[in-house]
Amino acid sequence: LPRAALTAIPASQGLRDTFPCLGSSRGPACGRGAGLALTLPPESLCFPVLRDFPVMAVSLLQIRLRCQKGIPPSLRGRAWQYLSGSKVKLEQNMGKFDELDLLTGDPKWLDVIERDLHRQFPFHEMFVSRGGHGQQDLFRVLKAYTLYRPEEGYCQAQAPIAAVLLMHMPAEQAFWCLVQICEKYLPGYYSEKLEAIQLDGQILFSLLHKVSPVAYKHLSKQKIDPILYMTEWFMCAFSRTLPWSSVLRVWDMFFCEGVKIIFRVGLVLLKHTLGSSDKLKSCQGQYETMERLRALSPKIMQEAFLVQEVIELPVTERQIEREHLIQLKKWRETHGELQCKSPPRLHGAKAISEAEPAPRKALEPVPSIIVSPGPAPVPKARKSKEKSREKGLASPANGPGAEGNGAPGTTRELLHPQVSPHHQSKESLSSRESEDTYL
Amino acid sequence: QSSDFLFKFLVIGNAGTGKSCLLHQFIEKKFKDDSNHTIGVEFGSKIINVGGKYVKLQIWDTAGQERFRSVTRSYYRGAAGALLVYDITSRETYNALTNWLTDARMLASQNIVIILCGNKKDLDADREVTFLEASRFAQENELMFLETSALTGENVEEAFVQCARKILNKIESGELDPERMGSGIQYGDAALRQLRSPRRAQAQSAQECGC
Repeated sequence: LPRAALTAIPASQGLRDTFPCLGSSRGPACGRGAGLALTLPPESLCFPVLRDFPVMAVSLLQIRLRCQKGIPPSLRGRAWQYLSGSKVKLEQNMGKFDELDLLTGDPKWLDVIERDLHRQFPFHEMFVSRGGHGQQDLFRVLKAYTLYRPEEGYCQAQAPIAAVLLMHMPAEQAFWCLVQICEKYLPGYYSEKLEAIQLDGQILFSLLHKVSPVAYKHLSKQKIDPILYMTEWFMCAFSRTLPWSSVLRVWDMFFCEGVKIIFRVGLVLLKHTLGSSDKLKSCQGQYETMERLRALSPKIMQEAFLVQEVIELPVTERQIEREHLIQLKKWRETHGELQCKSPPRLHGAKAISEAEPAPRKALEPVPSIIVSPGPAPVPKARKSKEKSREKGLASPANGPGAEGNGAPGTTRELLHPQVSPHHQSKESLSSRESEDTYL
Repeated sequence: QSSDFLFKFLVIGNAGTGKSCLLHQFIEKKFKDDSNHTIGVEFGSKIINVGGKYVKLQIWDTAGQERFRSVTRSYYRGAAGALLVYDITSRETYNALTNWLTDARMLASQNIVIILCGNKKDLDADREVTFLEASRFAQENELMFLETSALTGENVEEAFVQCARKILNKIESGELDPERMGSGIQYGDAALRQLRSPRRAQAQSAQECGC
């Protein structure tokens, strides 16, 4: 990706406008204004390929590139659910969350969770009021997890993760997304003893040797153990470290490509903070270095810069896995066998979808705007389809009779007078709200 | 501002007892209502005047949840002083003190000076741990003791200052040797200039070259 293309995009507005390339056949609709975006099921607009992506190698690359460019805010929550496989998980466990939600929970966890509720993103509108709906949902999600995995219970670092998810999706969806993060993306991170995070600290440090020998040497000399600085970074997936726009971009890539992204972000931050003798002048002591790593320069955390650096950093899954084996061996020599056995780590959306394939039924498109249920439409067809959609929108008088081009639900939805962009009825807005307005 | 000594301090205790708020109140003289809970470690430093000596405190504020202990233990090394915090409105946080104490004495240094802080003193109506009970515990375990309130600021500065004063006294009486490795004490920049004792000066300069 050319760097200029990324840096030229102004933050939030740009994301939406640069996304016409998303879902190549119907991209322009994305940029056309909130009214329309709200009435259309977003995954049909911009993630048509996601439904088929286990079988289509080409679209995998497309998805990755799209996630690197940043998922448009109105689609983010949906996209994360697809990428993480939490959507499939939810469909396979219908009613499970409600069931857990009704249980009381172990008081030993409830006490800690309650102490943390008002301490997540206290400036965010959703979590600002004590006992408000944001805090209530956070409680439900975290409590449900302690019931879902009683042997794991609650780890304080799960709270910011769950809070970020809740900003993008309802509680049930956020719960399953949290499950996927804890079990697929970052297994063992939140378990008793925190062995997995300590191992990853060693892996990070070892990778740093190659990425920035200067930073590596400095940290070694000052005997700064990786867990002194990377615990919060990794356990919270940088949600409490980076500026918000960067957090979202990092999470977009993380959901698609897995833990590799977290490693890369960590390495980029270390490299640009401690990577030259000039930068080390003000980090003479251990404490000064630690302080520097706690107060990173805003310049290196800035969205466009950071994302580009992360994309370009040549650290692969294979390297991480190889390093994992080396560090695991060392760990066994010094600490003995791991006390908490975690499932193997899955590196991103592809690995997850292969490990937990969605039943074919779940892959069926929800009634949507897609006209033919076959392969993704060729770009050539774009104009005519666009036109027909516009026509549909412009003439709300068309009744349900206009169905018949293969996507009955969508057409009905589109042609229904109530959902015309000019006459958004309260009802249709609120029914969509639960899914689409978690921005 | 230059200092005579530099002490490494820890703030430890169960989750939600107000450790970060104590630190914030000490440094900023303000109550931080909307603080995040600590994951890993936070820092703060401040120079205080103790009986005419300037002491720079480097304070490491740690995560409280039991689960993080395997990680936070690595922060303990070389701490000269510690605030051991419990919440007077929660017996559970008080019951955990013995564990924290064992960890601190084992991992920081044998001579670590610890002050017990019963925090949230302002919430007297919800009190679950009496002053008497806690002060008895402190006495048995050779701890100093104060009840503090990070909200009002009551006794917060005192807690840090008392702890620092005790360390200074121990240095003066020879009980603590700042030159010993891992004591958590270093001479500050001012002290380096003022040092008269040739032995000490020599040791200090040797230390400088050594690192």
